Amino acid sequence: MSGPLLLAIESSCDETSIAIVEDGRRIHANIVASQIALHGPTGGIVPEVAARAHLRWIVPVLDEALATAGVTMADVDGVAVTYGPGLAGSLLVGVNFAKTIAWVHGKPLIPVNHLEGHVYAGWLLDPGEAEREEPPFPLIALVVSGGHTFLVEMRDHLDYRYLGGTIDDAAGEAFDKVGRLLGLGYPGGPEISRAADRATAHNRVFPRAWMPGTYDLSFSGLKTAARRIIAQARADAGLPADEREGDLPEAAVAELAWGFQDSVTDVLTRKTIHAAEAVGARGIVLGGGVAANGALRRRISGEAEARGIAMVIPRPGLCTDNGAMIGAAGARRMAAGLRAGLDLDARPSLPLARPVAK
Amino acid sequence: MSARPLLVIDTATTHAVIALGAADGSLLEQRRWEAGYRHGEELLARVAGLLADRGVAAQELGGIIVGTGPGAFTGLRVGIATAKGLAHGLQVPIVGLATGAALIRAAAAASGTGAEHLVLVQPAGPSDRVVSRVGQPARILIGGAELPLADDDCLIAVDLAGRAPDDATRLGEAAADGLAAALLATGAARLAAGDADDLARLVPEYVTLPRGVRLDAPDEGVVVSGGKGSGL
Ligand SMILES: [Zn+2]
Repeated sequence: MSGPLLLAIESSCDETSIAIVEDGRRIHANIVASQIALHGPTGGIVPEVAARAHLRWIVPVLDEALATAGVTMADVDGVAVTYGPGLAGSLLVGVNFAKTIAWVHGKPLIPVNHLEGHVYAGWLLDPGEAEREEPPFPLIALVVSGGHTFLVEMRDHLDYRYLGGTIDDAAGEAFDKVGRLLGLGYPGGPEISRAADRATAHNRVFPRAWMPGTYDLSFSGLKTAARRIIAQARADAGLPADEREGDLPEAAVAELAWGFQDSVTDVLTRKTIHAAEAVGARGIVLGGGVAANGALRRRISGEAEARGIAMVIPRPGLCTDNGAMIGAAGARRMAAGLRAGLDLDARPSLPLARPVAK
Repeated sequence: MSARPLLVIDTATTHAVIALGAADGSLLEQRRWEAGYRHGEELLARVAGLLADRGVAAQELGGIIVGTGPGAFTGLRVGIATAKGLAHGLQVPIVGLATGAALIRAAAAASGTGAEHLVLVQPAGPSDRVVSRVGQPARILIGGAELPLADDDCLIAVDLAGRAPDDATRLGEAAADGLAAALLATGAARLAAGDADDLARLVPEYVTLPRGVRLDAPDEGVVVSGGKGSGL
């Protein structure tokens, strides 16, 4: 391969990650410093603590990325960085660090939208992984995470048409909330998935918000219903209402987790398949932290394959936030001539839109 | 000892300051500007401009000195991330110094007062304040709490115009004006003595954190994956 070698920096939320990616596809290194355990005791991210941890870890993560790839900054053709959307304090660390090392080493700086990073994770190849086809256009991308849940249509690189998304909570937030109600740990996604896998009965039905006639999604009603259903289950088991005062039997937790997960999976899958059929998509790309969920991966893959639509789901470690996905999107932006100057600033509410070269 | 020039960055107050100094700690030029919340857009471009105007290539710098606060979060993150990028990119040592202590030294130099009688007050969010004294950890004063002042204490107010006595505000302005020189003097001495900070572990001073959040142990709770595990 002979495409550009990008150093890519991601710090938009609670992962400090730096990757070395060749030609927008091949990962040479993808180091992730995850703060999940740091924020576990508070049950959610404390922005001040996250920003300080980014400052603490960004230099060792950079050194580790260069060492793992066996390259120096002299070998790098550009520096890509997430400049939004995300937590302002977290973004500031990555953006200013990236700008500075790009300037010192005389490398072009490529600004990347975090959300397109999740889409472009579908292009990545692990070190040593066999070559495979790129996701085919037109495609539908479903990005589902703790902060975002939306569907876009792409007819070409960097060309995003927003179809719909959550009008209230992100799917990942609902997983966290229901995980807490079930007495499971933080973050809720993996915990609910593990619990659901242990379910032996599959007849708990949680409501679905279909939002007919749109590609929009809603999870707040599901959260409210989950609270009610779990409270009823606790009352039936003779437990006090507060989830901290006694755990539901493991079998009940598993059934409830399964029922909740099935509701989310069902809605996301049907909306995505409907969108894909409506625009004549040849491929579907799934991204974001919730795309690590096994039930969602199996369900949506099965439905796509049955319709002859190519399904691309990165391995779980590339669905959660990482630098490699920023390198993949960054390479496309670099090829399109997009560059940032020394005045690049964090954009916490940056929307996903086709980028325009200055 | 290296004779290469040193760069100073402090973004803890509303007026960001950058400066170029000689290796012996003398100030060559400082630039201050009201940064508001635009540190992120302006800092690196201003550094590049200062170096270009002085005819100094970044690669000629011998060390970075950065103020670590306490102060506004936005500015501190930009300042320290930029300072780390410079130190890493240029492979030069870094020294992080408390902005509060440097402001007190600067005020002492400006007023001829002994630093032990100086009490620095800075805002912390919309209603709280941070109080610093030489040799003591900075403390937060919640809301309108009375300042703990002795009779011969002298107040330095920074970023509190209209919320502090005029003479305290004037001394605060003098302190802010002397901040770069104070950071440079201490930082150059430490660099000359080979007493640089660990580039990875340098983090801002946090005085104000949401209630119940622990300040200590920033190394705990972070799991690094994906590498060959060399030296993390
Ligand atoms: Zn994300």
